[in-house]
Amino acid sequence: MDFLKSMAVAASGLRAQAGRMRVISENIANADSTAQAAGSDPFRRKIATFRTQLDRELDANVVALGPVRTDPSEFVLKHEPGHPAADANGNVKYPNINPLIEMTDLREAQRSYEANINVIGATRRMIQRTLDILKA
Amino acid sequence: MPISDIPIFSMLRTRMQWHQERQQLLSENVANANTPKFVPRDLAQPDFSHAQPVAAMSLARTSSSHLGGIAADATQFDLDRRGQFEVRPTGNGVSLEDEMLKVAANQMDYQAATALYARGLALIKTALGKGG
Repeated sequence: MDFLKSMAVAASGLRAQAGRMRVISENIANADSTAQAAGSDPFRRKIATFRTQLDRELDANVVALGPVRTDPSEFVLKHEPGHPAADANGNVKYPNINPLIEMTDLREAQRSYEANINVIGATRRMIQRTLDILKA
Repeated sequence: MPISDIPIFSMLRTRMQWHQERQQLLSENVANANTPKFVPRDLAQPDFSHAQPVAAMSLARTSSSHLGGIAADATQFDLDRRGQFEVRPTGNGVSLEDEMLKVAANQMDYQAATALYARGLALIKTALGKGG
């Protein structure tokens, strides 16, 4: 039945957005994770990627989480000579994470998640209507 | 004569199939709302101007032992080829608001079709009499 296909496609969207939320929350949680040893790199920001793939069983374009990439941008340098991870000049590398960007990303993921939920709800009501023909 | 051969029922059936396929395309669009380079798709309105109801196609039976199954409907509806409203820098052209509106409209039109279908059935029941 085609409606169940629609629901499966929307469910793939839910899964992908939930995975993206997981990556974003990882970033937010690690916003201050510096390196263990002096001079080494701290936590690097992760970016979730999406890709469209044809589900042969469903014969529909579902969405899947692609490989999680890292953000190559510069780390934030802070001058903290007493920090265990400080280099010779007293600078500590902090992760290249901007909480504002992460929150915006999180909001977008949430909005897309809700959109998928809406599609599932609409599809469910359409199935219900089909069944209602039986009662007529 | 199967009930789906009555013109109004066959048209409503086509309409409902159209809504079903459209719902699938719309859910693909919403699911891929953040996929780079994804171009949303939609169906063009079904064409009922050729009032002739499309006769159900069935396989030719070359032997009397063949089963006369009902052929699966392979109705392929045309895609809507109109350009999209906006394309984001990632090459994604899905506008969630637009898609939500379409999903809601699709759902309401489908409900209208099923309601009409039910009314049609009620009409036939009336014609048959209340089984008195």
